[in-house]
Amino acid sequence: MRQIIAIVGVSFLLVGCVQVPAPKPQAQPTLGTTIGIGSVQGSSRESSEYGTPPRRYATAIRNYFTTKLKRGAEARYKFSSPKRAFKRKGLAYGGELAWKGWLVETSVSVPTRAGRYLTPRPYMVLFSGEQVVEDILGNSHKLVTKVDK
Amino acid sequence: MANFNTHFTVASGASAVVSATLLSMEVVTPEQAVIAFGIGTLGGLLPDVDSSHSTSIKVGFNVLSLLVTIMLIFVKSSTYSLVEMFVVASLMFVGIRYAFLEFFRKISKHRGMFHSIPVALIWGILVAILSQWFFGLNSLVSWVYGFMVTWGYLVHLTLDEIYSVDLGNRRIKKSSGTALKLGMFKNKQQKIQTALVYVAIPLLFMVAPSTDLLQTALFSQDAWLTFKDILIPYDGRWFFH
Repeated sequence: MRQIIAIVGVSFLLVGCVQVPAPKPQAQPTLGTTIGIGSVQGSSRESSEYGTPPRRYATAIRNYFTTKLKRGAEARYKFSSPKRAFKRKGLAYGGELAWKGWLVETSVSVPTRAGRYLTPRPYMVLFSGEQVVEDILGNSHKLVTKVDK
Repeated sequence: MANFNTHFTVASGASAVVSATLLSMEVVTPEQAVIAFGIGTLGGLLPDVDSSHSTSIKVGFNVLSLLVTIMLIFVKSSTYSLVEMFVVASLMFVGIRYAFLEFFRKISKHRGMFHSIPVALIWGILVAILSQWFFGLNSLVSWVYGFMVTWGYLVHLTLDEIYSVDLGNRRIKKSSGTALKLGMFKNKQQKIQTALVYVAIPLLFMVAPSTDLLQTALFSQDAWLTFKDILIPYDGRWFFH
């Protein structure tokens, strides 16, 4: 009995302790934001925190997966528009903010070795400027938070 | 009951078959397949960690203490000095390998709920949760690792059940039915244990990664067709690719 309670208790402790705090707001400029040029609007200030959205994301993603995936050159793609998002490091690596920028949800269908196209797999492709920094298989991840739904 | 060597050999063989299949189906990369193989083999030793003096408990705690110590070093490497890291890592290793092991030996009872199908599932879910939350792995790989633990675990339980049949004397040993079971229901205490284990499963699922990718990769029409493609040469040309 004690053994089971210990196992279940430790499981819940492990799971219950997991919490993703919101990212710390970046330091805002305190000089010159409200003098002369007017106040910075909330949405544009948030956008600037995440950088500018990638414009040539479709080409960047195609190029990225062409070398990354087996038979990537023959893959079929679908893209969503870029969304603001951030990602934390795994708790084993400290759990702090690892990336903040624009995420493009992509679905990729690659052919098998027999030439049959598989059900498209969802990927979240993370950008820093116009560069792909990482891809995450799936359309959700416990360490990734999408700011724009 | 099968001994340690038998469990190790059979679990590693069964894990090799599954991880090689997943690799061929392009569900995992070669590196991930090697890790999946290792995790499946460890899963095959896991049920006996509740046996106080088994080899499994020593292997299990060696791996656990090393894993936690390495994780600690990862986390603190950027802030601690080498001496601080050495002291803390040594304390962590000794604490888990010896102190926690002794505590675990005192509270555990062999062939209790540890030898049951729902606990095999719980281990799989826990590994999937830890893979994503702690190591940041994607949902598919997290669940593949979880699946491998459960697979190795179930292979162990099945082997114990097979060994409970004495083919030579054509009799069934007392241990029959104590390994591959759904729960324990003899008395109130056992019923509570079983209930707790079953309640834990849906609760753990609430924080577990999404299972969509695993379902598509392993348990879908698409997966079945892919499996057929890799089972025998799809173009009929044997050994000439």
